[in-house]
Amino acid sequence: MSTSRGEGTRGRIGHRVPGRGPGPGRGRGMRDVVVIGAGVAGLAAAIRLAEAGLSVEVVAKGVGATHLAAAVVDVLGYAPGRVDSPAEALPAFVRDHPDHPYARLGPERIAEALSWFRGRVAELGYRGGLQRNLLLPSALGVPRPTALAPATMAEGDLRGGGRIVVVGFRALKDLHPRLLAENLALADVPGGRVEARAAEVALDLGAADLGAVALARRMEDPEVRKELLTELEPAVADGEAVAFPAVLGLDDAPGIWAELRGALGRPVFEVPTLPPSVPGIRLFRALRHALRRAGGRLTMGAEVVGAETGNGRVTAVLTRTGSRAVRHAARWFVLATGGVGGGGVGSDSTGAFRERVLGLPLRFLPPEGPPFLPGYLGAHPAARVGVAVDERMRPLGPDDAPALENVVAAGATIGGAEPWREKSGEGISIATGYAAAGTVLAEVG
Amino acid sequence: MDGTATIEELVRGSLDRCVKCTICETACPVAAVTPLFPGPKYAGPQLERFRTGGPSPDRSLDLCSGCGICTHVCPHGVKVAEINALARAAMKAQRGVPLRDRIVARPATSARLARPVAPLANALLAAGWFRALLERSLGIHRRAPLPPFAGRSFQAWVRRRRPRALPRAVVYFHGCSTNHFEPRLGRMTLEVLEHNGLHVAVPPQGCCGLPLQSNGLLGAARRYVRGLAARLAPYARRGYPIVATSTSCALMLKREAMEILGLEDDPDLRAVSERLYDVCEFLLLLHERGELRTDLRPVELTLPYHAPCQQRGHGIGKPALELLSLVPGLRVVESDVECCGIAGTYGVKREKYDVAMAVGEPLFRLIRDAGADAAACDSETCRWQIAHATGVPTLHPIEILHRAYGLAPPA
Amino acid sequence: MRRLETDVLVIGGGSTGTGVLRDAAMRGFRTLLVERGDLATGTTGRFHGLLHSGGRYVVKDPRAARECIHENRILRRIAADCIEDTGGLFVTTPLDDPAYADRFVAACRETGVPCEEIPVAEALRREPRLNPRISRAFVVPDAAIDSWKTVWATVRSAQEHGGEVLPYHEVLRLLVEDGAVRGAVVRDHRGGEDLEIRAAFTINAAGAWAGRIARMAGCEVEVIPGKGIMIAMNHRLVNTVVNRCEMPSDGDIIVPIRTVSVIGTTDVRVADPDRWEIEPAEVQAMLDAGENLVPGFRRARALRAWGGVRPLYQERKAADTRDVTRAHTLLDHRARDGVERFLTITGGKFCTFRRMAEETVDAMCAQLGVEARCRTAEEPLPDSEEARYYWLGARVADREATLLEDQLICECEMVPRRKLEAAIRRRRTADLDDLRRSLRLGMGPCQGGFCMYRATGILHRELGLEAPRANRALLDFLQERWKGVRPVLYGDQLRQARLDDWIFQGLLDVEHLPTARPAEVARG
Repeated sequence: MSTSRGEGTRGRIGHRVPGRGPGPGRGRGMRDVVVIGAGVAGLAAAIRLAEAGLSVEVVAKGVGATHLAAAVVDVLGYAPGRVDSPAEALPAFVRDHPDHPYARLGPERIAEALSWFRGRVAELGYRGGLQRNLLLPSALGVPRPTALAPATMAEGDLRGGGRIVVVGFRALKDLHPRLLAENLALADVPGGRVEARAAEVALDLGAADLGAVALARRMEDPEVRKELLTELEPAVADGEAVAFPAVLGLDDAPGIWAELRGALGRPVFEVPTLPPSVPGIRLFRALRHALRRAGGRLTMGAEVVGAETGNGRVTAVLTRTGSRAVRHAARWFVLATGGVGGGGVGSDSTGAFRERVLGLPLRFLPPEGPPFLPGYLGAHPAARVGVAVDERMRPLGPDDAPALENVVAAGATIGGAEPWREKSGEGISIATGYAAAGTVLAEVG
Repeated sequence: MDGTATIEELVRGSLDRCVKCTICETACPVAAVTPLFPGPKYAGPQLERFRTGGPSPDRSLDLCSGCGICTHVCPHGVKVAEINALARAAMKAQRGVPLRDRIVARPATSARLARPVAPLANALLAAGWFRALLERSLGIHRRAPLPPFAGRSFQAWVRRRRPRALPRAVVYFHGCSTNHFEPRLGRMTLEVLEHNGLHVAVPPQGCCGLPLQSNGLLGAARRYVRGLAARLAPYARRGYPIVATSTSCALMLKREAMEILGLEDDPDLRAVSERLYDVCEFLLLLHERGELRTDLRPVELTLPYHAPCQQRGHGIGKPALELLSLVPGLRVVESDVECCGIAGTYGVKREKYDVAMAVGEPLFRLIRDAGADAAACDSETCRWQIAHATGVPTLHPIEILHRAYGLAPPA
Repeated sequence: MRRLETDVLVIGGGSTGTGVLRDAAMRGFRTLLVERGDLATGTTGRFHGLLHSGGRYVVKDPRAARECIHENRILRRIAADCIEDTGGLFVTTPLDDPAYADRFVAACRETGVPCEEIPVAEALRREPRLNPRISRAFVVPDAAIDSWKTVWATVRSAQEHGGEVLPYHEVLRLLVEDGAVRGAVVRDHRGGEDLEIRAAFTINAAGAWAGRIARMAGCEVEVIPGKGIMIAMNHRLVNTVVNRCEMPSDGDIIVPIRTVSVIGTTDVRVADPDRWEIEPAEVQAMLDAGENLVPGFRRARALRAWGGVRPLYQERKAADTRDVTRAHTLLDHRARDGVERFLTITGGKFCTFRRMAEETVDAMCAQLGVEARCRTAEEPLPDSEEARYYWLGARVADREATLLEDQLICECEMVPRRKLEAAIRRRRTADLDDLRRSLRLGMGPCQGGFCMYRATGILHRELGLEAPRANRALLDFLQERWKGVRPVLYGDQLRQARLDDWIFQGLLDVEHLPTARPAEVARG
């Protein structure tokens, strides 16, 4: 029961009108660009745009696929035979795959994008290029072609052969050094044979089951590294390079890698393990840092649930906070939602596919007949589903004209590729992200 | 059914989205410091497939702090933290909820009991021998950051105040912490809002039930939050924005009560949820419409800012950062640390205190290394944790604005 | 050719065959069982896991209903560890004839199947995802039974009494001499050799393949393969068995079995039990059926689809296999075909396997003039001695107790490393699918995405395999897994499959693993 002293601040507002703020579904200020998706493609586009002085917001449901991939940059690994030189193979590849995203870009733009990318994450020390693929061992010991690798991984290049000891940690179930080493010894690499053997480090870290990230955090402790070296030094033979699972720290991996390399006096390299990918987390942090440096913003936990369109343009995308929609208005939008893997493209229980954010038309849908073949390792008709884009990364409608005026697409949402088979994922993401940003910059002026 | 079926499909059923990518586990601040908590993927979508509503098989789930970062970073839309919260409540229902948890879950009750003897109560809480006794008897860690009780509640202060006559109005949801522990924050909030031409109504209001929910007392939590929603709903329905300074309580009303307590269909809660804003969210939106006063004087401070887990759970980015960037002279250092460790009532518990301090250590180190005289954070329990661990006074961002506007320091 | 001698040779390693093995061994016979694949890979391992209360048959086939409830009680006693006491519901959905419910109640009373009506609100309280538009609900003592566990426990019991099993041993021909079956010649698919087994008596328990075996002795036995498909949904949408209260039809049941819920099933006659497909239309029909029982079913995640062929014995021809009798049939070939020392047991249901075995071994004893009593209903199976039902939380509780000491290899299904290593050693198998059946390895949402690399590495190490052999094990598993996932590859499972593609092809590059030529020809 309130006593009426004053005008009843407590309970009665009387004639006053609601403060004119936002109300339900009313908006944020207008930005230059909203990027949807925080994977490599989205972040690459956002960084390029922010560095050019545009106001950029990245809205993302969650963390992108960086945390799941090896953090190498695959440009073209198999076409379908193993590719020695992406630069040499690309022209023929593009001719044979006229619907591939690379066909929209061309080798020069791809090279430019990669070079730009390396500069943005210079602290990770990416080596390699389009001229010659590196051959890095997978966690199963398959020589896997890739174009760029960070410093902590690059010395694993198997070309020319060599002798390697593969170190496993007892507590890490995600790397099996014996199987890796035996398969490596059977590997077909140019310029020499690979001799490989396994060594296991017992290192008691207080738990029998440590994931790669937990182990990487422990490796940031100099005492742990000292203990590791004590166990390892006598076990390493002359002329052997040392392969570790990718657990050499989270925050200062280049430093830890250099320290181990120096102490062991021989090449040292990381082999990427099952997700979560420690090198991938490093890459994400480096990209986020670059974005922040450039003045861009990243909003996570913000799934785009709808869009406002009119006159062939997107005026805003909508996310939710509680029961209320939040409007993200912008002049341009970059759709980098990750395709089928990222959830940007999905199918329902009848098998019908949909681009789930803007409802863009999809291409490369499976023709009549089963979308997936009986053999697992086949070229499945439904594998390349995605949006089609022009050379400017603008998603196309059924008449091959841009579906929306102010939208560009990047990354795995673009169809026409099978990056996991071709080994082309990061190349597509970086190059299309870079190109998408380029289109926006040209338009915005 | 009161939304039970919806809860089943939207919360428990969201485990179907999980592709085991483990991204949530890489971000979990508790799993990062102790192998005794296998991580949110394990505790949530993975173990949920083994829970039948019968006897609870859970143990390690007890270490989940409820920070919600897992849901925040999940790229696939799994409601990891919400699944964990429901499972934890089921676990506690079976094992029994200790007296300590029932007490810390009702801060308003403790405060009302203590207020008549606040100076004595505060002296006891500051006395080592008493805290040792409390630890042994109840299980509240002797060094846990417990805030002192205010001598007079914020509501009592508001009753005595002559408000300013202004044509436009908002409603202030202050939360228990402002009411019973930090009424000064409430006063500053009122003054900042009035400075911007808004009449502020402060209706009678109770606890949002968040500490009850996070301690597994879901039935009581439902009663509390329904009561609060009933108080605020009439204003919401008439279109008044409701502004909150406790970002975690705001999240409870925006979303958590619906998802975890199954109150999806409660019309009062829906109405309130649609009109509820975190105060920084609200002020930033005013600014984007050009309606925020920008007569801000310089504040020369190096200010580490930590966005609490519950703030990030709003999914609105970090509006406090953008507001603070309007204040000249302020050097804001953004924290990327996931969690300060306190997680509401989690870090005050004897068996969780060390975990909580380990979780927050990277943040504490960042603040110490910044050589800061003050830090900023939107959640009260986080502020108390940070101040306790670093010795650095920790303020709500609105307090910085208050100072920058040159409004008189509160008496 | 190597030669073995035994008293009784059992052909077929499903529930019936292993039941016969146990019963015969317990009565003192030296008994050997051969099975062409892994145990329970015929029909037994491919049904939905329902331990019938009999409610399904009370109106249509009261004899089958009586058998079911009788055996239900026995199995609960002797195989408690294999059974989760989920209980069952019969519900009248909007698609069902409301009049059936009264007939159902009366027939339950008649046949002795316990049945209790509960208010619809109570049913919905117990099962929040159930269709709120049901009009009536009845509780029956259905339960969920793990068929692999049951078969392997039965085998262990048999082994305790001297019985033996030879999986991956396929019968090439029967030895028929002087009008009697004297045993068989089998091929060891793992070792590569052929083996002659001499037996005093041969029992054909080859289920849907029983006709094929009987023909080897010159006996014409027609077993109609009735294909049924099922879909496992990623989690338990219900924790009780839910049946439509209606005459048996397609997709009228959801069974919560272990961590999944299974919707089933269809009923299509096929010509060859080894050659059939899962048709997209069948999958859609099952999803529709699921939607009728659990609204929102189509938005839930389908994990895997598979099928099994029921063995339906009929002397006459019939078009719709659902009308063909579900009762089991014991064929005395001496009387029927003039072939001695040979019995065929076929038809029937999983839950009556013990009884089928009892009748079979009784008949064999009668022919041999041996007096030996069946005790299979009295002695509990290994691990079921304390008559405690299986608790789904058991694997979690085990893991929680060993958090710091052991590694979790299959996280989805909570398979720890020690258990995997023990199974590898015990089974001496380099087949990851064998291990899947023993442990549920790779049967969760990620369908092996995360655990298969780990399991392959551990397998390689434990058995000292050559790398190409280990690689082949992995590739074979991935192919087997794909078979089950492909028919339901949409929505969440499609997204999972894409992540798994990124792991296996993108990250590990399995396509380019060095592989050995397989020693055996892979079966279809």
